[in-house]
Amino acid sequence: MNENLFASFIAPTILGLPAAVLIILFPPLLIPTSKYLINNRLITTQQWLIKLTSKQMMTMHNTKGRTWSLMLVSLIIFIATTNLLGLLPYSFTPTTQLSMNLAMAIPLWAGAVIMGFRSKIKNALAHFLPQGTPTPLIPMLVIIETISLLIQPMALAVRLTANITAGHLLMHLIGNATLAMSTINLPSTLIIFTILILLTILEIAVALIQAYVFTLLVSLYLHDNT
Amino acid sequence: MLSRVVLSAAATAAPSLKNAAFLGPGVLQATRTFHTGQPHLVPVPPLPEYGGKVRYGLIPEEFFQFLYPKTGPYVLGTGLILYALSKEIYVISAETFTALSVLGVMVYGIKKYGPFVADFADKLNEQKLAQLEEAKQASIQHIQNAIDTEKSQQALVQKRHYLFDVQRNNIAMALEVTYRERLYRVYKEVKNRLDYHISVQNMMRRKEQEHMINWVEKHVVQSISTQQEKETIAKCIADLKLLAKKAQAQPVM
Repeated sequence: MNENLFASFIAPTILGLPAAVLIILFPPLLIPTSKYLINNRLITTQQWLIKLTSKQMMTMHNTKGRTWSLMLVSLIIFIATTNLLGLLPYSFTPTTQLSMNLAMAIPLWAGAVIMGFRSKIKNALAHFLPQGTPTPLIPMLVIIETISLLIQPMALAVRLTANITAGHLLMHLIGNATLAMSTINLPSTLIIFTILILLTILEIAVALIQAYVFTLLVSLYLHDNT
Repeated sequence: MLSRVVLSAAATAAPSLKNAAFLGPGVLQATRTFHTGQPHLVPVPPLPEYGGKVRYGLIPEEFFQFLYPKTGPYVLGTGLILYALSKEIYVISAETFTALSVLGVMVYGIKKYGPFVADFADKLNEQKLAQLEEAKQASIQHIQNAIDTEKSQQALVQKRHYLFDVQRNNIAMALEVTYRERLYRVYKEVKNRLDYHISVQNMMRRKEQEHMINWVEKHVVQSISTQQEKETIAKCIADLKLLAKKAQAQPVM
C-alpha cells in the first residue's frame, strides 16, 4: 500500500532510459503555432489566453524588466500545462520532483538578484533594511532580511513541489478510501466520492494558481531588481 | 554550439590554432544554408472548415465505419473492457476513482462551457475579420469619394462657360456705366462753361440797364425845376379834393 502510494512520483523510465525528458517535452505539443491570421478555435483561445496573461503580467515592469517577458510567459504556460496534465490518471507530473523545481527557481531568482546587484547596487542593498526600524534592531534585522532573501529560491521550489505533491497524494488517499469503502458501505462511498470530486476541482484550481504564484513571485523579484 | 566546444578544444590542443576559435561562430553561420526549400504556395491553401467527426470526443467516426461491416464496435469495446477487467489486466485501484472524478469533472466542464468557449473564439476571429473588412471598406469608400469629387469637378468644368458669360456681361455693363458717367461729366463741364458766358452776358446787360436808368433818373430829377414841382403838387391836391367829393357823394346815393 505504501509502495503504491508513492509509486506515481517515481521518475518513469523505459527500459532504464529516462522517459521524464519526453514527458517534460510533451506539453508544447498541445499549444500549436499557426501561420494563418484566422485560426481554429483551439489556437484562437490559446492565443487570446497567452495575450491576456502576458499583458497582465508585464505591465508593471519597465523596459529592462520586459526583456524577461518571453521567459515569464513560457514559465507560466509550462507550469500550468504540466500541472493540469498531471491530473490525468496514470500520468507523471514533473513538477512534483524537487529537482526540477529547484532547477527552475534557482537560476531565475539568481538572475534577478545578480542583475539587481550589478546595475543598482544601492537599491539592491537597501532591500535589506526596511524603512522605519528602531536603531538597536538594525543588526538583527539585516541578518533576518539576508536570510529571507537567500531563502527565496528554496521557498519557490519547495512551495510548488509541496502543493502539487500534497494534492496528488490526497487524491490517491481518498481514492483508496473510496475503494475500501465500496466493499463495506455503499452510501458512505458516495459521500467520499463527492469529496473526491470536490478535491479534483480544488486540484485544478491549485494547478493553475501555483503556476501563477510561481511566475508572479519571480516577476516580483524582477521588479525589485530592475 | 558544439562546434564551438570542438574549436576551443582544438585551440587548447594546438596553441597555433587559438586564433581560429574566434572564427568558430562565423564559420558556423557561413556554412548554414537558408531558403533551400520550396517557397510556400501563394495564396496559402485554405484550411478545412470543420474538423473530422469524432464520437465520444476520442474515437474518430472512420473507426466505426471501418468496423461496421465486420463487427459491432460497441460490442468490441465492451468485450475488450470486460476482458481487461476480468483478467486483471486493468486493476481497479485508487487510481480508478481518481480517474473517474477527473474525467467526470472534465466532461461536465466541456459539456457546460464548450459552446460558450467556441462562440467566444468565433467572436474573436470575427472581430479580426471585421477589422480588416472595415479597413478595406474605408479604403473603397475613400476612393469612391475621390471618384465622385472628380466627376463633379468635371461636370463643373462643362458648365464653366456660364460663369464666363456672366463675367463678360458684368464687365460690359461696368464699361457702359463708366462711359455714361464720363459722358455726363463732359456734358456738365461744357454746360458750366456756357452758363458762365451767359451769366456774364446777363450781368453786363443788367449793369448797362441799371446804369442807363440811373442816368435817365438823374437827368429827369435834375430837369425838374422848383416851380414845376410846386405847380404839380397843387394840381395833385386839387384833383384829390375833387375825387373826395365825388366819393362822398356816391355812397349817399
